[in-house]
Amino acid sequence: MPKLIIDDIAVEAAEGVSVLEAAKSVGITIPHFCWHPALGRAGACRVCAVKLLDGPVKGIQMSCMLPAQEGMVVSTTDPEAVALRRQVIEWLMINHPHDCPVCDEGGECQLQDFTIACGHGTRRFVGPKRTHVNQELGPYISHEMNRCIQCYRCVRFYQEYAGGSDFGVMGSAGKVYYGRFESGQLESPFSGNLVDICPTGVFTDKTARFRARYWDYDMAPSVCPGCSVGCNITPVARYRELLKIVARRNDMVNGWFICDRGRFAPKGVNAPSRPRTSLVDGVKTGREEAMDALLRRLGEVAELYGEGSIAVVGSTRLSQEGATLLPLLAESISAGALSYGLSAAESRASSGAISMLTLENGASIADVENADCIAIYESDLREEGPMLLLAVRQAWRRGAPVLLVGENSPLEQVRGVGIEAVQLHYMEEAPLAIFERPVVIAGMRHGDPRVMAVLDRSGARVACLFPGPNGHGAALLCAEHGGIPLEEALAKGKVKGLVAVEADIPAELLAGVPFVASLDWRETAAVQAASVVIPTAAWVECDGTYVNFEGRAQRFSRVMKPGLPIKELDPACHPPRIHQGDPPGGDILPSWQVMIEMIRLAGEKVPDGPFSGSWANLTSLDPEGEGEVIRGRCRRDS
Amino acid sequence: MRVIDDMTAILTGLWTTWKHILRRPVTIQYPEEKRIPSPRYRARIILTRDPDGGERCVACYLCSAACPVDCISMQAEEGEGGRRRAAWFRINFSRCIFCGFCAEACPTMAIQMTPDYEICRRDVMDLVFEKEDLLVEHCGKDPEYNFYRHAGIGVTQPRGEGEGEKPTVDVRGLMP
Repeated sequence: MPKLIIDDIAVEAAEGVSVLEAAKSVGITIPHFCWHPALGRAGACRVCAVKLLDGPVKGIQMSCMLPAQEGMVVSTTDPEAVALRRQVIEWLMINHPHDCPVCDEGGECQLQDFTIACGHGTRRFVGPKRTHVNQELGPYISHEMNRCIQCYRCVRFYQEYAGGSDFGVMGSAGKVYYGRFESGQLESPFSGNLVDICPTGVFTDKTARFRARYWDYDMAPSVCPGCSVGCNITPVARYRELLKIVARRNDMVNGWFICDRGRFAPKGVNAPSRPRTSLVDGVKTGREEAMDALLRRLGEVAELYGEGSIAVVGSTRLSQEGATLLPLLAESISAGALSYGLSAAESRASSGAISMLTLENGASIADVENADCIAIYESDLREEGPMLLLAVRQAWRRGAPVLLVGENSPLEQVRGVGIEAVQLHYMEEAPLAIFERPVVIAGMRHGDPRVMAVLDRSGARVACLFPGPNGHGAALLCAEHGGIPLEEALAKGKVKGLVAVEADIPAELLAGVPFVASLDWRETAAVQAASVVIPTAAWVECDGTYVNFEGRAQRFSRVMKPGLPIKELDPACHPPRIHQGDPPGGDILPSWQVMIEMIRLAGEKVPDGPFSGSWANLTSLDPEGEGEVIRGRCRRDS
Repeated sequence: MRVIDDMTAILTGLWTTWKHILRRPVTIQYPEEKRIPSPRYRARIILTRDPDGGERCVACYLCSAACPVDCISMQAEEGEGGRRRAAWFRINFSRCIFCGFCAEACPTMAIQMTPDYEICRRDVMDLVFEKEDLLVEHCGKDPEYNFYRHAGIGVTQPRGEGEGEKPTVDVRGLMP
């Protein structure tokens, strides 16, 4: 633990960190471009110059390249260091175009910030600027090479960190060019991180091209609903429209990055066909009337077909708030069956997983990155958890062998991140016992639940990829309240009334059910088949909680108000020229609040909030915190 | 002498009175008669065009960010040829305080203040000007300036042929 002095502040730095990181730890930001916390240093930009006044090294040094050492006296404000930084940034700006007003990075640009921080204002160089021809990099990322300042961050991320091979650096000296050999879509499943990692506007998000500025964004800490990994994200909205998604740092989950599927896949929040008003038999009504009609008709169904003819179905994308209220709703309307929307296979695998997982044997992404052997069991991580693939690559770079077990673990998945793997047929073949920190990543779609017992005995840490963003939470509640698989709930022929709460039920399963009601924000088959539809708030429009694959409960916050986007209000494109408080279509509640209203209308005792009893500790989760690990509750209880 | 002081005071006052009675009046008979304000007077805001007739406004949001009373709102979009333009652009003149910060912030000389100070309306909603009300058919105060010629990213001319640009780099060339 070297002790040094930076700008008259005594700093005790961790072993092996650079002067730049030591300064950052006490709140002194030294301008930097090539250094990135996840990628380390390259010594390419020369903008982090500081002056060392005393100690083992003296004079002007690059703070990112210099390890913090005992007895150093560092000045970031020394006139010599300030002058050098100003000159370096002036030199970096020599070829930078004059296009900030039409650049999407403007306002959130590290180059803008550090140019101003270093004190460069007026261009003195009168010579011409070098220019490049751009490439077409597919539908998600736009390329503007003239803005490049040659920090090498993009290529270090793409080739070293993410293992991509179709993007690199070409040319020399003043002609350095970052791109593909020829135009074409970037192949890496993590290419979207180039947008976040580029300190200026060479790579920008094409899906949100020319839409808004940083200072106008509606933003909040959120969690990705794409899969069970639960990466931390910041969705960006403007005028009640979700524009784009950027990665948010959480060292316990996704680190600095997210996958392209989470970033670019359509989320349905902006879909014009989204249910926005309550419908009874296709006729628009108020929410209260729709709830009344729903309860009345459920009563008629129960009268006609007898007790237990009603089923309540949730899903793995329903927030934990909604999922914990689902059994209470089922009880209040005397439902005979409760399902969390899991298929029979998923249900078996999930219950096997939660009865096996404990606080000790569950693996987080950090455990995967630090593993010395990784087995991927019956899973295609490109589908079930792409960010784990990036973590597997980090372990592989440190020398961990990667084993692909079972016929549903294709070799193509690891080729996408440039690693080599060995294919095995059975879990028993994997020599996990000879390693110190082995990790098994188990898929739930094709996995055999009996293997869970093998994994339990193997001593390896296990990451179980539950289906859906809240699959783990749904599985825990399913075990607690006796939820049954979807097919079982509907195939008996007994179910005549169905309440689908944000549930994705295949149309063929709905065919035999005379009365369907749906609470949803997506236009699902259940919404199309439903006699009563009550719209709910999408995940960016309300607060909520997801429990990710490792059992980490994470809170997400409301990003924007619900309501029709301005874009959809007027065909002439103007916002309406009338004054009104709430936007049209803005009278939408989160599904858990709709459920509480329904429980109240049904005459049952209304819970104070979504979380009570053993779940009460989730009430005070911090959306900006690391989340709380709740796995192993089932095993502790039993 | 007290009486002489008093006389002087009265005569000085009378002199001033008579001076103003005999001077030409400064009052202008508005609205029959109108003053012409200086060209840099800050009144009704316009959106100008570049010398080639294209819209100068690139909807960069700097004017709305600079506006202290939040009376400017807009939505940017991509127009033909990769030009950035405003899909809609609205200035609420009932809220505008004519401080001129927007014109000062504008990097493309698009938004300009004009000396037209007569913008009273009977209905307050008529003071909410849309893009079609704001956009004019001339260059305003900077007739020569075309932002895209200096921007350095092509759009109005092929890449590498704008002002102060080198021809594009051949990355596969072997010359140093």
